[in-house]
Amino acid sequence: MFGLGALVLSMSMGGLSYFTARHFLLNERHNTSVQQAYVNASLIRTYLHSGSSKVNALGSLASGFGSHSVLFDKGKWYPGSISIGQSAIPRQLRALVISGTPATQNITLDGAPQIVVGIPVPSVHAAYFEFFDVSDLAHTLQVLATTLFAAGLVTTLLGAAVGRSASGRSLRPLSEVSDAAVAIAGGDLKTRLPVASGDPDLAGLTSSFNYMVDQLGERIEREARFTSDVSHELRSPLTTLSASLDVLESGQDQLSPRSARALALLSADLHRFQRMVGDLLEISRSDSGSAEIWLEEVHAGELVRRSVEVGSRTLPKGVSPPNVTVDPAVESAQLMVDKRRFERVIANLLENAALYGGGARSVKVTPRQSKGGSAQCVVVAVEDNGPGVSRQERHKVFERFYRGQAAGQRGTGTGTGLGLALVAEHVRLLKGSVWVDDTPGGGARFNVELPVADSSEWSST
Amino acid sequence: MSNRILVVEDDERIRSSIRLSLEGEGYEVDEAGSGEEGLDRFGKEPCELALVDLMLPGMDGFECCRALRRVSAVPIIIVTARTDTHDVVAGLEAGADDYVTKPFVAKELAARIRALLRRSRPTEDEPAVLTFGDLEILPDEGVLRRVGGDEIHCTRTEFHLLCELASNPNKVLSREHLLDKVWGYDYFGDGRLVDVHIRRLRTKIEPDPALPRYILTVRGMGYKLVP
Repeated sequence: MFGLGALVLSMSMGGLSYFTARHFLLNERHNTSVQQAYVNASLIRTYLHSGSSKVNALGSLASGFGSHSVLFDKGKWYPGSISIGQSAIPRQLRALVISGTPATQNITLDGAPQIVVGIPVPSVHAAYFEFFDVSDLAHTLQVLATTLFAAGLVTTLLGAAVGRSASGRSLRPLSEVSDAAVAIAGGDLKTRLPVASGDPDLAGLTSSFNYMVDQLGERIEREARFTSDVSHELRSPLTTLSASLDVLESGQDQLSPRSARALALLSADLHRFQRMVGDLLEISRSDSGSAEIWLEEVHAGELVRRSVEVGSRTLPKGVSPPNVTVDPAVESAQLMVDKRRFERVIANLLENAALYGGGARSVKVTPRQSKGGSAQCVVVAVEDNGPGVSRQERHKVFERFYRGQAAGQRGTGTGTGLGLALVAEHVRLLKGSVWVDDTPGGGARFNVELPVADSSEWSST
Repeated sequence: MSNRILVVEDDERIRSSIRLSLEGEGYEVDEAGSGEEGLDRFGKEPCELALVDLMLPGMDGFECCRALRRVSAVPIIIVTARTDTHDVVAGLEAGADDYVTKPFVAKELAARIRALLRRSRPTEDEPAVLTFGDLEILPDEGVLRRVGGDEIHCTRTEFHLLCELASNPNKVLSREHLLDKVWGYDYFGDGRLVDVHIRRLRTKIEPDPALPRYILTVRGMGYKLVP
């Protein structure tokens, strides 16, 4: 932007100089030509008065400066040289001068620019025309134009370079602020700007920026602590409720059908409440960065089969467990995972499929190259037969308490609203990634990608 | 045989509800509001199992476990706030056999208690004596001793674990298998239970627990006992 401005400025300055110089030089030459033509015209008049021949008169003129004369006398033309005759004089100019008005005109003759000056000499009924070659002037102007253009270009480039470096230097603090803001938005709340010395304006910006980040961090921490505290406080009454409910349930036979039904409702929602509190605690630990992971080395095939078996047990009644297929290439790929977290991931995905996708149809384990192609990964895909997840919702489904379009289909709804959010958290802690896409049949497919700890046991297929 | 359970928990309502629930399962319940009171009660009248909350005013749950362990091999279940902290491992290392997480489901607690109090071994066709190295195990009597030497004291869980390993010599047993056989976990078992108990067993039977000779770790798979 700065460079463009410099270019426009230097070009217009160059243009202005050029046109001023051109105008001045042309004017100058024009005046000289007219003066010389008058001198010559008066000489011719003198000659004609004295009765000398026209040829002598023309020959006596000083025509050393590339000028050519043409004389019109009593209806006849007398060219001063063979190269230029009356035919070169524009018709209008000819008529104008012969009728008694002096005039000049710029013309081009054989590619060379010329000034034609016409002066009437009424006392002898003649007209004098003189051609002045100005191609030397044109050449000078061309050299001038080239020089100015080159100078303008050099100035622009230099200006742009200087401007760039200067703006880079003066904008560096701003780009630091921008980088820091991006880092903070990305969740790195430890980012601070270096305290600027020297520039008081910058020091103010830096310290208020850092203050803002401090405040932001504190607020986030306070909120995370609040969630955690609330969940902690809820646990004791929940434990009491659960144990007391258990006592009531064991005496269910003695209850009236109405009371038994109420007890069943109470029990179902208490169970859900408990899980919600558990999930909230889990998430708040993850938020506060105090989540601890216990990594174990396990074979991918065994891990997935076992997790699916475990996850299937807590599914609602009537939901059949999915088929598990493991690509032989990754059957014994070693994964470093926190098994508890991985089991929760699978259990939550199966539960999600049961609630919104008519139950998981299959779980497929396949090898995959990570994006960089440097590391081997294993993808665990949980597929269902449901309506799928629309493109707009594919990121949102992993948000906390997100209620998508599918939520409208919830019947008895036993989800905690945190299932997929926890899946995302667990997978993140396991250094993997999770995303949702379609199965060829249109159902939802949740993919969990985990890095392989040791790919030496991979078969070379 | 008594089936008294000592509940050490400072929240009175939780204590009462656990009492009601466990009494419904046929247990006798003794309540204590603090670690000190728990130890006092245990001293007066031993119980079959202790349930200890880790967060207690005064003497904390860890200390309470260690104190109980010093005087008894009674099975201990700790109640923790979180599953993913060092609390669980620290509690197990303080001598606990198993843990439940708050808020726990009463049925889950009852299942854990039943698994720990199980008297009979799951396998019937077990020899009367299992030996390896200079050690011998008498499964029926619950005795572990050096051949011709002293008895080695261990908790019931440690004993069950060792029996399971010793009756499958040279065979790798996965953590899941051991959790199932020894703790009765059919799912969501925690491998740390096995790891901590193996560590405790090693300090009791291995000549050099840092370089185990009998109970070997098979990376990524589990444990095996080499006679």
